[in-house]
Amino acid sequence: MKKLSHLLAAGAAALTTGLTALPTQAAQGSCSEPIVFGTTISETGPFSTLADRWRKMTEVFAEEVNKSGGIAVKACNKKLPLKFVVYDDQSVPATAVALFEKMATVDKVDFFVGPDWSSLGGPVPPVAEKHKIPMVMANVATPSVYDRGLKYVWGTPFPVVPNWSVRYFDMLSKVSPKPQTIFFITHDNPVMKGITATWSKKAEAQGLKVLGNETFSSELKDFTALIAKVRAAKADVIYISSYDNASVPLVQQMRQLKVRAMDVHHTMLTGALSRQVGKDIEGMTGELSWYPGVKGAYSDLVETVMKRSDVSMFDYIWTLSRLTSYLAMIQGIEKAGVVDREKVKEALFKATIKSPAGDVTFDERGFPNTSAFTVQMSGGKVNVVWPPEVSTAKLVWPSPSWK
Amino acid sequence: MSKSLNAGTGWLLGAAGVAALASLPFLGNAYLTTIGFTMLIAYILGQSWDWVAGEMGYVNLGHYCFYGIGAYAFAILLVGHWPLWVAIGFAVVVTALAALLISVPLFRLHGDYFAFATLALLPLVEVLAYNLTPITNGADGIVLPVAQVLQPAYLIALGVCVLTFVVTLRINASRFGYALKSIRNDEQVAETVGVRIAPVKRSVLMLSAAFGAAAGAVQAWQMSYIDPATVFGLNVALVPVAMVLFAGSGLRWGPLVGVLVLATLQQWLLVSVKGFQATLYGLIVLLIGRFMPGGFLRARWVQNVPLLRALAREHHEYMGESDTGTPAAAPAHDLPLPRHRNLGGAPLIQLEQVRMQFGGNVAVNDVSLRIQPGEIVGLIGPNGSGKTTLFNCISRVYTPTAGRVLFAGQDLKHCSRDQIARLGVGRTYQIPRPFGDLTVQENIAIPLMFNDQPLSPRDAMREARAFIEYAELGHRLRERADSLSVQEKKALEFARALACKPRLLLVDEVASGLTPAEVQRFVEHIRHVRDRYGMTVIWVEHIFSALEKVVDRVIALEQGSLIADGPLAEVVRNERVLSTYLGSAAPTEKAGGQGC
Amino acid sequence: MEVLLQVLIGGILLGGLYALVAFGLSLIYGVVRILNFAHGTLLAVSGVLASLAYSGWQMHPVLIVALLAPLLFVCAYGYYHVLLRPLARRSHFEATVGTVLVTVGTLMILSDLTAVAAGATQRNIPLRLEALEFGDIVVSTTQLLILLGIAVLTVVMHLILKRTWFGRAVRAVTQDPVGAQICGVQSTRMKALTFAFGSATVAIAAVLYVLSFPVDPYMGFGLTVKAFTIIVVGGVGNLPGALLAGIFLGVAEGLTGLYWKPEWAPALSVILMLLMLVAYPKGVGAKT
Repeated sequence: MKKLSHLLAAGAAALTTGLTALPTQAAQGSCSEPIVFGTTISETGPFSTLADRWRKMTEVFAEEVNKSGGIAVKACNKKLPLKFVVYDDQSVPATAVALFEKMATVDKVDFFVGPDWSSLGGPVPPVAEKHKIPMVMANVATPSVYDRGLKYVWGTPFPVVPNWSVRYFDMLSKVSPKPQTIFFITHDNPVMKGITATWSKKAEAQGLKVLGNETFSSELKDFTALIAKVRAAKADVIYISSYDNASVPLVQQMRQLKVRAMDVHHTMLTGALSRQVGKDIEGMTGELSWYPGVKGAYSDLVETVMKRSDVSMFDYIWTLSRLTSYLAMIQGIEKAGVVDREKVKEALFKATIKSPAGDVTFDERGFPNTSAFTVQMSGGKVNVVWPPEVSTAKLVWPSPSWK
Repeated sequence: MSKSLNAGTGWLLGAAGVAALASLPFLGNAYLTTIGFTMLIAYILGQSWDWVAGEMGYVNLGHYCFYGIGAYAFAILLVGHWPLWVAIGFAVVVTALAALLISVPLFRLHGDYFAFATLALLPLVEVLAYNLTPITNGADGIVLPVAQVLQPAYLIALGVCVLTFVVTLRINASRFGYALKSIRNDEQVAETVGVRIAPVKRSVLMLSAAFGAAAGAVQAWQMSYIDPATVFGLNVALVPVAMVLFAGSGLRWGPLVGVLVLATLQQWLLVSVKGFQATLYGLIVLLIGRFMPGGFLRARWVQNVPLLRALAREHHEYMGESDTGTPAAAPAHDLPLPRHRNLGGAPLIQLEQVRMQFGGNVAVNDVSLRIQPGEIVGLIGPNGSGKTTLFNCISRVYTPTAGRVLFAGQDLKHCSRDQIARLGVGRTYQIPRPFGDLTVQENIAIPLMFNDQPLSPRDAMREARAFIEYAELGHRLRERADSLSVQEKKALEFARALACKPRLLLVDEVASGLTPAEVQRFVEHIRHVRDRYGMTVIWVEHIFSALEKVVDRVIALEQGSLIADGPLAEVVRNERVLSTYLGSAAPTEKAGGQGC
Repeated sequence: MEVLLQVLIGGILLGGLYALVAFGLSLIYGVVRILNFAHGTLLAVSGVLASLAYSGWQMHPVLIVALLAPLLFVCAYGYYHVLLRPLARRSHFEATVGTVLVTVGTLMILSDLTAVAAGATQRNIPLRLEALEFGDIVVSTTQLLILLGIAVLTVVMHLILKRTWFGRAVRAVTQDPVGAQICGVQSTRMKALTFAFGSATVAIAAVLYVLSFPVDPYMGFGLTVKAFTIIVVGGVGNLPGALLAGIFLGVAEGLTGLYWKPEWAPALSVILMLLMLVAYPKGVGAKT
């Protein structure tokens, strides 16, 4: 009877292998095959709310890159086209791991890009390490994931926690009237808690007294108690460290309960938030990794790709990370000059790559130094207000709508 | 089941299969190994869930909690540099203890409420994982050192799978398994035939939790990272459950087949279909639920496919015990019952001012009576007079509001239902309550396994034959009890009560709906068990002609109160009894009241 | 003191909304005895539809309800007849398993189709009205209106259950299906009507919900779990009980946030439910 289970298992294995037609052979070393990037995208499941339309965007990206021939490979004296293998990881880590194994051993891709999110950024990189395939992750911002001594893994989250509010606090030190106190409201999430931990220390160092830090879980819907504490503290600056979607009820209720401050700052001021809270977002400041119109390396390419795939930068701030991970891998190959995993690995080690938002340098752990611009909402429009050299509008201080 | 495949061959084939699976990490590629590993984990989760659900009938929708708690306990220890096996052992023990703790409130619930409560456990434990940051590292999750452990993890998982399968076989062949199955069918009846259900429920939950934890620990090791959303997420929590239900819960091969089919299907959809995978997967689950809800292995068409039919076998063990070549050597009238010598004047059962009140409704009103050993006493009264309630007070289905029940001089106040059964009280129910999805033989064997001198399942099944022959159900030996006719069920009910080897037999309206010949048979049975085995019988019955033939005396109840107690001939002439049965205009018709 | 009052008000408003989510489920479970796992997802999907109708076609929320409720009623009626009713003929075990599989399958299909058709991002109806201030206490007008809506709905449904024939039939079937049948209640039609009616209330609940909080296609199951919790505490089929249970939970969550830590608020409902079940295994207000 056990024979049955053995037969069935063997049958299942054969079925899966048979059904997965082997795509184009890997281009390692060859000069005639396309270069294949393997990735998974959370198209379904809880994380899919952050990754809408990314498959289309990825396909369009490949098309646009190939319009000019592809990726320049010096050793071949020509450009090789780029091809993506994309699977849906369903927001489940075990599924992502299996799919990356598949891409390594069955689909035989050349390089890995992605995945996103710490839940996946924990289990997946060891697969890349095992098969010695360089991997540039996208939206994985938890520093502890980079502390594991992995040699084949980099990441391009925008921005990274230590740099998140650099420009904002710079701004705070230069505005008048000068704020004296600050209150943190933190979403219970590793990235957001990391931001609060880092930036509350830096605020203290800068002379801003931290009056309190309240943490809330993603499930929380009624913020009355929390807001009561915030109102009682009467801080000059309220710093909301949260994902956009989780903070929608918070922002709405802060308005309804008439919270007052010189400024209300949000670490993730996005189109999604704006759409859901409507006019409540007026006057808030936030961070944005990039904004439409600013010229930088590859900015034309990125703008075209996003327009063609109908992805808005303001809506999907995670998108820049994704696209930059692709750009980083491309630049690694071009720098190495040959389609060879070891050479690309060396090329990416402590490298500086170019992105639409500026240069990005990796440290020896693969952790980048990405940062963000400070923006402010006025009249329903998003304006870059700091640093003043690149601002599109003047900062309004203190924020009139929160007076 | 074909006898050509004996146990030895079975184990050999099994070993070959396991060896083949064990070779996968070394012969196949990493992708197949990873998928195989996921399937192994799913099987462990699914089968351990089925012990509680398919075997015992309690649907624990929060089973994934055990997986998560095990994963966390393991990860915490591993990060603390404890050896691997200590970490796994710790995970298993901690989770089993957690299961013990949660079983206290949970098993106060039954059926759907139990399912609701267990479902709510998942978000609770997820919040605990998020908030108990000093222990669990909160939302950051626990990062385990990176070690390429796919192969050893796979092998350990395979080992646990084999263990899971073996445990399943052992459970079904043991008394424990039969206790589970009796609970699944009818908890109350199970208790009144002597099964102690509380420890059984706790044990199976702890066992289920232990294996779930092992799965969690091994998977955490392989993934080298866990956070609350990964291990407690609602989006993955029902997957193992769906897999088991898909093929057939409670079947030997159900969980295995379900995992293989659905996991393969899921992988196939993931790599071959672009978009709508969840819709297709959901559609398949939905169609199975609509058209083959017992699992597709229980569908009718499966009976026609030999391979699938073999997989669809239910857990009925010791079927061979009914095939012993020689028929029961002893004559049908010899039952393996002890013979009670009824000497001495002490009453066997004594009720002192027993009162049973439900809110404002007094069902049993300060009834006192005593019955000597060896008596056959009829209990009569119109519908609603409290006869069945009285039985329920004696067998502790209800706890009397006031008064004492003494059995052989012992106050039953602090006895549980199963203790009372083992002391020697057996009963039938007015509407037969057999263990429906078990065979006739198993129905009789269960009391034999759980009474004062318990038998092993094998011996119990053998001894059950005698009772079945006595009840003339030999031709229905291997049929499911719920497929019997009403008369056959009543006969089964009676035989099962006898199998409890009682000193006091409570018979509740066993003769209604039967032909005169069948009634006569019951009368003879009752007389026989008293004459030959010294059993004391209380018989609730409306058919006076039957009572007349065999009872020593009769007790009459009316609206909960005892109104007459004496020989039958006297009682049926008692004015109150007559007016209670016939109405107050009865007195002028006294002449015709005899023997109604 | 003002803070406490503020928190209490917030808790009542939130709790009322939770109760609304649970209403339909309570009715359905009471009469049809079906664990409808897709209930929360139905609400999430309806919420997405409502949000689209509002932002895309500028429909007034009341109009949305007026259109959505009958639509859900008809769809649910058909769904019951085709998918759920035939299962009742089977054994108890198979009927239970069958409904679990059917409703879980439905929830997967609904989430996926909605995510594909309308996108997986969060949506809401960002309608905002000026808040009312009483000294230091601020009461959100939107939420006040929602509470009013909930109260009205509760009263209406309560009257329906107590005064109309349909309502009496529902209560009869909840208490004793066989007896009700003997008295002339057509069991099958009653069940189908109740299922449809309970699902139609989701339309109202969804619109009210999405006026306060955002929804996405994948959040449904979490809502279902919360609704089950409320039903257990309030007693099956007991609508005022569900309202009280919901409010109780909302206030308890708020107080936890005030006197202890907000992170623990979501765990509270489950712990309370478990405690309740230990004390009252049949639910606090078990009779209709």
